[in-house]
Amino acid sequence: MEAGVESGHGKNSGGSDPEALPEARSQGRMVLRKFLRHKLAMGSVVVLALIILGSIILPLFYPHSYADASFSSYVEPSAEHPLGTTQVGKDMMAQVLRGTQFSLLIAITVAMLTTIIGVVLGALAGYLRGFTDSAISRLTDLFLIVPSIAAAAIMVRVLSGSWYVVALVLAMFAWMPIARITRAEAMSLSQREFIEAARASGAGTGRVVFKHLVPNMVGTITVNATLAVAQAVLAEAALSFIGLGVQIPDTSLGLVISENYEQMQGRPWLFFGAFTVLVLISLTINFIGDGLRDAFDPRQRKVKA
Amino acid sequence: MNLVVYILRRLAISIPILFVGSFLVFCMVAAAGDPLGELRTQPGVSQESIDQLSHQLGLDMGIVPRYFDWLGGFLTGDWGISIAQGSNMQPVFPKIMSAFEVTIQLILAAEIIALLLGVAVGVLAAVKQYTPIDYIATTMAFIFFSMPIFCVAIVLKMYGIDLNVMINDMGWDSWLGNPFLKTTSPESLSGDGFFDSIIGYIGGLLLPTLSIMFISFAAYSRFQRSSMLETMNMDYVRTAQAKGISQGRVIMRHAFRNALIPVTTLFSVNFVTVVTGAIITERVFAWNGMGSVLVEAVNKNDPNTLMGWIVVIAVAVVVANLIADLVYGILDPRIRVG
Amino acid sequence: MRRSKAISAMAVTAVSALVLTACGGGGGDNSDGSSADVASMAEGKAQEGDVFKLADVPEMDPVTVAIDDKFTAYNNDTADANSSYNNYVLTSVLAGPTLLDGNNKVLTNGDLMESIEVTSEDPYTVEWKIKEGAKWSDGEPWDCSDFYLSWLAHSGKAEGFNVASSTGYELIDQPECKDAQTFTAEFSQPYIDYKGLFAAGAILPAHVLEKGTGIDDITSIKPDSPKVSDVAEFWAGEWKGFDAETMPGSGPYKIKSFDRNSGRVVLDKNPEWIGAKGGPKEVTVRTIPDTQAMATALENGEIDVAASTQPDATAATTMQNLESQGVTYGSAPQLTYEHLDLNFKRIFADEAARKAFFAVVPRQQIVDKLLKGVQPDAEVLQSIVFFQGEDGYQDVYSDKAGQGAEAAEKILQEGGWKKGSDGIYAKNGERFSIEISHNENARRKQTVEIIQSAAAKAGIEVKDDQDANFLAGRVDKGDYDVALFGWSSEPFKTTQAALYSSDGGQNWQGLESKEVDKAYEQAVASTKEDEARKHYQEADKALANEYATLPLFATPSMWGFRGIDRVYMQSYNGALWNVGEWEAAE
Repeated sequence: MEAGVESGHGKNSGGSDPEALPEARSQGRMVLRKFLRHKLAMGSVVVLALIILGSIILPLFYPHSYADASFSSYVEPSAEHPLGTTQVGKDMMAQVLRGTQFSLLIAITVAMLTTIIGVVLGALAGYLRGFTDSAISRLTDLFLIVPSIAAAAIMVRVLSGSWYVVALVLAMFAWMPIARITRAEAMSLSQREFIEAARASGAGTGRVVFKHLVPNMVGTITVNATLAVAQAVLAEAALSFIGLGVQIPDTSLGLVISENYEQMQGRPWLFFGAFTVLVLISLTINFIGDGLRDAFDPRQRKVKA
Repeated sequence: MNLVVYILRRLAISIPILFVGSFLVFCMVAAAGDPLGELRTQPGVSQESIDQLSHQLGLDMGIVPRYFDWLGGFLTGDWGISIAQGSNMQPVFPKIMSAFEVTIQLILAAEIIALLLGVAVGVLAAVKQYTPIDYIATTMAFIFFSMPIFCVAIVLKMYGIDLNVMINDMGWDSWLGNPFLKTTSPESLSGDGFFDSIIGYIGGLLLPTLSIMFISFAAYSRFQRSSMLETMNMDYVRTAQAKGISQGRVIMRHAFRNALIPVTTLFSVNFVTVVTGAIITERVFAWNGMGSVLVEAVNKNDPNTLMGWIVVIAVAVVVANLIADLVYGILDPRIRVG
Repeated sequence: MRRSKAISAMAVTAVSALVLTACGGGGGDNSDGSSADVASMAEGKAQEGDVFKLADVPEMDPVTVAIDDKFTAYNNDTADANSSYNNYVLTSVLAGPTLLDGNNKVLTNGDLMESIEVTSEDPYTVEWKIKEGAKWSDGEPWDCSDFYLSWLAHSGKAEGFNVASSTGYELIDQPECKDAQTFTAEFSQPYIDYKGLFAAGAILPAHVLEKGTGIDDITSIKPDSPKVSDVAEFWAGEWKGFDAETMPGSGPYKIKSFDRNSGRVVLDKNPEWIGAKGGPKEVTVRTIPDTQAMATALENGEIDVAASTQPDATAATTMQNLESQGVTYGSAPQLTYEHLDLNFKRIFADEAARKAFFAVVPRQQIVDKLLKGVQPDAEVLQSIVFFQGEDGYQDVYSDKAGQGAEAAEKILQEGGWKKGSDGIYAKNGERFSIEISHNENARRKQTVEIIQSAAAKAGIEVKDDQDANFLAGRVDKGDYDVALFGWSSEPFKTTQAALYSSDGGQNWQGLESKEVDKAYEQAVASTKEDEARKHYQEADKALANEYATLPLFATPSMWGFRGIDRVYMQSYNGALWNVGEWEAAE
């Protein structure tokens, strides 16, 4: 990974920003080309896109509201109710669609937050070193030792079980790995000539970090942000399972599954709808992350060849 | 020697962090609401006994003195009392410790199997890259990796019952016991003899251990595979291969040892995840470990129990990190020497 | 159920006190939803009239019984320990002068008691006569001093006992031990629920306390004696958890061992028990908070009896499907009524709003969807004061609730409400948007979902307010529009006045009605049961006319068992109330 980044910037040392862009773009094209060739990852992109689009578009045409409880209990799957109805008489398909929306919303929010927090802190620590580094590292350690499940449970209970509270809490306890990885990479990058040159030309910390360091870590950041989405989906499901996650009126796939897992044997359709979507989301994202990692990794060429 | 210094330094860092962390968590727990709220709504509970409890919990003090009061007690083994309804002002320390004992059994068993199996499968997949073995291992890892742990646990439980029926049909229950596989925490681990105890222990532990194991196994095998591939591409390994040293020897002597290092890191990073997994698994299998203590404490708003819980886990994380560091030091000669 | 059940929180009991329940619940009725032979198990085998005695049956092998939450304390009557789950264990360990059968009939404990009689109407005096030879499992006599200690602790006249409830005991002015076998009490006013006193674990071993505190004779200690604080300290502090030395049994069983972490309790025979000596050799009581896990454990043969107060249709189906494997399934309403309390201080000050809300709540649908899977003959509860099957039960709600969306809209329009552009009715600028508040409980959440959907059709917006702290600090402050919860009680009605009288301590909804007040006053002061019942019925009607509180159903319990001839889950004391006469099924 580092080798790739280096080759992209070898000629760049001392160069100004406008010059850096075309370089980055050509590197980006190469990564994209490699990614497009990664069949599993591409297939995953298609499936994930279908799930996302489906969860947005289908509810517009779907005849039943998620809130309508006027049907009978436990109607078996039919054209009217593709996944049957729940005990209170709500259409299961409508629950799955809405759960998918919320789960994706939570996961993407978590991924964005963790990436932003992790990258900013990690890059600052790695670049500035010294006191900032130890302060940020201690902060990272602090968050690593506090058991997130307990903290999350308490905060969800105190604040509320809205989706954004759950997302926020999950993000609070998921940024540390990204910060550590970013820090390590920022450390090694800041030894490089082009960073030293930027610093010599009088660029401030903010400029060096965000214009020079971060763009060069795009590979690592993208891969980890992607994987963070998958982890967030599962973490949310885990919280919901012990009853300390998202609460109504909001919902999530985890909540829909944990409300219906007891039906796995008796009325499998109530369980497997939400379950399949959840596993598909996390599986496809993991595959995409893997594909991205390969695409950003220059050594992959050698291995494949 | 350096390793000792290194560990001492890690400890010197960890203790202030534990201190600050416990204070922050203490504030969070204190903000979680009135622990005596439920008691206040009850008919016939006198104001006097509520005041008495309130004083006992230090609720009449400010947050800072209350924290130091708690900390003083905590360090001397008095972790306060649990005030949740029905918990009867039970002291927190023995309650958490016996729950921790249950959970650590599950975690240790699961992690050991997961590590051994994960590393073995990872190495195999790397050595046999792009063969069916690799593909199967990779697919399995990805599936387990993408599955919520409670689903794995529930499925295992379902098949566990079927398996018991099979065992009974075959007549093996005479020596495996009926039921062999337990879906709830085992009645008691003592049996009539040594063999019975072992069988009982295995039957009770098997299903929950397996479900925690699967999730960890997925991560370990993936990690081991990629770090193995990386080391196998390193110059010194290639040199060794070029020198004509046999494939097996190269793998075991050179590549394997170095490839283990990242997995060691994963072990410590993964520890919190495993604890979370154990909590959820315990719930499925109705074990009375840290999971049930946590859920009960959160729902009954029981501050001393919550604090004890969080600090015990935090210390366990620190210890797990130390162990990882130690292993790291043993595996990586650079750290040991310099 | 499901997850929320661990969460279930306090299914709390207090002797003859109404108790707020977070989850559990009950109903007094013998029309349970199980097969006919289960209904017949509600009575003791050797029960005659008002007297219960254990039947003489052969001894059977040890059994394992699972309940929802942990046993924690030998003394269940302190405020901090009080829980139904303690009761479920103690019912076979700590004997009382009376007990309840599966139909909630109050029976005299014929194994230990000669009689319980009202000896004078004025002053109202009751005499308890104990059988000669009744003993604790450590060989000491079970006698009048034990009754006296129980009174001292529960009377509320002395400080430091931290007693869960003193209802009834506080009316006793002159307690006296005439001799070792006779305890008499003079009441300051008539108290017809006297049979509820000293029952369900209220009588603890006075001789142990005497030894522990160095007091020679407990009956010499009055509430104002200086030594009473020692007694209080021992009573409230030393009988927590379990210790074989200080915690003998007085019932057919005694506690043999107790594992605090898992809540597992092992009971074995009380060697000094003077009644019939059959039943299981040992009884292990375990805690399995997840109802489905409990059903699975029964399926897998890990437990012999699954007894849950948390009705869950899926777990019920699992157990019903095990019939071919020899499992018997039972279900019965408990003495808990689930209901909706409307807050008079908010939007529901408007009578039309109350009436319209009553009209949209689809109670039949709620019962059909949420309860029928557990208890096939579950019914909508039509009275707040009485349970189905109780003497005095009358339908006072069916003409006031559930008429549907159209009727509700008509009521609102007549009451001056107008439909807004958003489809929601409004009056004087206030939208008809309400929150139904409840604790974390899957069934309550489902109840709200059903009401939500039905109310939306009538232009009423209902929001679900699920708050784990709702019963712990909000409900008593009247912080709700509609409160959804259950009250649980023994079949004694004295304490109900506190809930609905204008100045009642637990009247959190702000109800003020002269008719209700008057009826309760007259009922409490009655000296005859018939007379009291008549006034309670009046109170019931007056309450309904206020549209103040809407009863939904009596929450059913459910249980399953294998290898035992008969098990019936008593609404208040659990499955073990007659464990001493369980026999191995053939």
